[in-house]
Amino acid sequence: MYNRPRVIPVLGIIDDDLVKTTKYTNPRYLGDPINAVKIFNGKYVDELVITDIRASVENKPINFELLSHIAQQAFMPLGYGGGIKTFEEVKKLFRIGFEKVIFNTAFIDNSDLIKRSVEYAGSQSVVVSLDFKKSITGKYVLYAKSGTVKSNMTIPDIISRLIELNVGEVVLNVIDKDGTMSGYDLEIIKIICSMIDVPVIANSGAKDESDFYQAINSGAHSVAASSMFVYFGKSKAVLVTYNSPFNKGGK
Amino acid sequence: MITIIDYDMGNVGSIKNMLEYLGFTDVEISSDQERILKSTHVILPGVGSFDEGMKNLEARKLDIILKEFALILKKPLLGICLGMQLLGNSSEEGIKKGLGLIDFYNIRFRLNNGLKVPHMGWNTIKIINSHNPLLKDLDNNYRYYFVHSYHAVCDDENQVLLTANYGYDVVVGINQGNVYGVQFHPEKSHHFGMKLLQNFLGINNV
Amino acid sequence: MEKRQYQVCTRCVMDTSDSVIKFDENGVCDHCKNFEESIKPNWHVDHLGKEKLDKIVDQVKKDGKGKDFDCIIGISGGIDSSYLLYYAKEVLGLRPLAFSVDTGWNLNVAVENIEKVVKGLGLELYTEIVNWNEMKDLQLAFFKSQVPYQDLPQDHVIFAALYNYAVKYKIKHVLTGGNFSTECIREPLEWVYQNDLRMIKDIHKKFGKKPLKTLPLTSMFKYKIYYRFVKGMKVHRPLDLIPYNKTEAINTLKEKFNYEPYANKHFESIFTRFYEGYWLVEKFGYDKRRAHFSSLISTGQLNRDVALRMLDNPPYDKTQAMRDLEYVCKKLGISKDEFLSIMKEDNKTYKGYKNSSKFIALGVKIAQFLGIEKRQYR
Repeated sequence: MYNRPRVIPVLGIIDDDLVKTTKYTNPRYLGDPINAVKIFNGKYVDELVITDIRASVENKPINFELLSHIAQQAFMPLGYGGGIKTFEEVKKLFRIGFEKVIFNTAFIDNSDLIKRSVEYAGSQSVVVSLDFKKSITGKYVLYAKSGTVKSNMTIPDIISRLIELNVGEVVLNVIDKDGTMSGYDLEIIKIICSMIDVPVIANSGAKDESDFYQAINSGAHSVAASSMFVYFGKSKAVLVTYNSPFNKGGK
Repeated sequence: MITIIDYDMGNVGSIKNMLEYLGFTDVEISSDQERILKSTHVILPGVGSFDEGMKNLEARKLDIILKEFALILKKPLLGICLGMQLLGNSSEEGIKKGLGLIDFYNIRFRLNNGLKVPHMGWNTIKIINSHNPLLKDLDNNYRYYFVHSYHAVCDDENQVLLTANYGYDVVVGINQGNVYGVQFHPEKSHHFGMKLLQNFLGINNV
Repeated sequence: MEKRQYQVCTRCVMDTSDSVIKFDENGVCDHCKNFEESIKPNWHVDHLGKEKLDKIVDQVKKDGKGKDFDCIIGISGGIDSSYLLYYAKEVLGLRPLAFSVDTGWNLNVAVENIEKVVKGLGLELYTEIVNWNEMKDLQLAFFKSQVPYQDLPQDHVIFAALYNYAVKYKIKHVLTGGNFSTECIREPLEWVYQNDLRMIKDIHKKFGKKPLKTLPLTSMFKYKIYYRFVKGMKVHRPLDLIPYNKTEAINTLKEKFNYEPYANKHFESIFTRFYEGYWLVEKFGYDKRRAHFSSLISTGQLNRDVALRMLDNPPYDKTQAMRDLEYVCKKLGISKDEFLSIMKEDNKTYKGYKNSSKFIALGVKIAQFLGIEKRQYR
């Protein structure tokens, strides 16, 4: 019986540096991304996501050189997100060894690119990553460009666009949970999962495996995390770790 | 001399990376007919739709070349993911005919118990034919990365190498003569995939 | 200068790849002599050692009263530091802060060992992440400088980070895993040069491109004199005061933490294994294993014949060496061809650069005179 959710580390980069933010600000320097990928590769992680957290908001080019090096270190599926603006960039990402392209800002301002990517590579290779912030009234508001630009799209708007674009997966990020290791926001997971069939990956806030189970029980297909895989102990010492409770049998 | 078929579909870079990591140096991503025919082993990758795959092969005359390589020269050929599906006769996904190098066809997953399509993620395999050279030293604890909405159906059980369970038991490894196919992505399956690729590259002419 | 005839010590395995090695009439080298005459008589792992250790432990506990930690221990994931961490907490009852420095090269097995040991002991960990862009620049400059000692940048940065942190957060006592048991026979100066900030800076000036803004650096003067005598920092080597046996240490760590040992000493870092197994051997003909094995032979932990047989095999296999070469080039941002042409250029030593060797030699002489330094430097 198939019940094997993926556990996916998400690595944030700025230029050539590996960083970790808190609520999408205050990036803390973590070292060389290539070494981190090498370590995750050695731990046989299910999948890895690399996000360039400033590419979109600062209009920077995609760091293809670094991404090529990363792809050569990784023998598991790789996803990239961050400032993807053209179809040429999409094709190049696939060519250098990434399996999935992840769109965030483009979901709001360039959905044609997403459509074209689905046509080219199939929906399983195209992912949309949504950044939500919970307003004081309890409503979930969608943001773009590393959380700096607010969108007017309502949840129903978002759902219908996701269906229309036929993307393969959706990643749910919650800005105020980022880097806090205070647990996932289960409410948004339940809301989105109840409205679409597309696999949903929960992100932002995980501190340990119990959070994974909560997210799965709320409807998530797989889970992602950053802080818990790069920080160790009370003092948040930087140390790469990884554990998936779902990969019993097959190490 | 190993050639990974370049027909503008599929993650050829990852396959090359893994082969080079394993120490194989004469690996090229190519659609050059001469090189393909001269190769000792050929890998047909593939991500995308069935008809698109066949169209792209036909446009480069690679359907003819691959048939010559496999049926006349009888050298080892491995199809991965869509590449495996193209080895068959047809697919519910499209209307074109496949390469027909192995006698099977492809259908869409028939799931009714809440499991989603595509079958995406890691899954363990079940070894059906443990004596096959492709499966040397593999065991039922091995897991691989899958991403597919369509799967093979093979009536000849002698040709079935591996199955995996997703809703029901699905054929994910297949072989006829020197033509092999795997539905999963060995190039994205860590050391599990490395073992399989190493086995494939150890197979010689029949 | 005519080439010396090849000779290897009859007692340990040091040989004429150390170009200034001396042999007596029995073919025993001066490293062994120094061990017998200077190190062994002053190396106490019996009751004298215990007395010394007890005194240190009392002082550490006293100085650490009321503080979160009474000492700081640098760990790399290697056997010595991992065992020391265990020994300090479980046997000596100290409250150490585990301190690790990430210079960008840690292997999986090292990172996992750190995790296992620190978690298993329930200790707190602090990691200093060195800015990789600066480290990369310095390391590339060092390769271009043609000197053998490519571990200098990392070593320097690691110790600077450790000592700087200890002094900054007023943790007086630093415990290190350095020990005679596995390191009494020290590599000759030819192969390994000690920390010399002046040389590091000169090499960086000549071959580096990025300014070194955040890299932890301290001069020998600063940390051997200022930190020690003005700031009161004390550095202890507890493994020298107990009967430290490597094999037993590995077994203890395996049993208690499921620790995984490496193939060779220092092979917890891809860079170090590449530098020791490839750069030093291929470019200079120096095999650091000789010094390490000789230390183990002198302390009765390794049989000389076994050591000779191990030395017949290269430090690591060709496929791995090539993979590591590719990885190192990728990390340093140069092509394989560029690196191989760097390998082909003329070898140099510290003498080719501005250095404080005379000053350091004087410092060592003083230390030897005061009885602080027992190993020979030449």
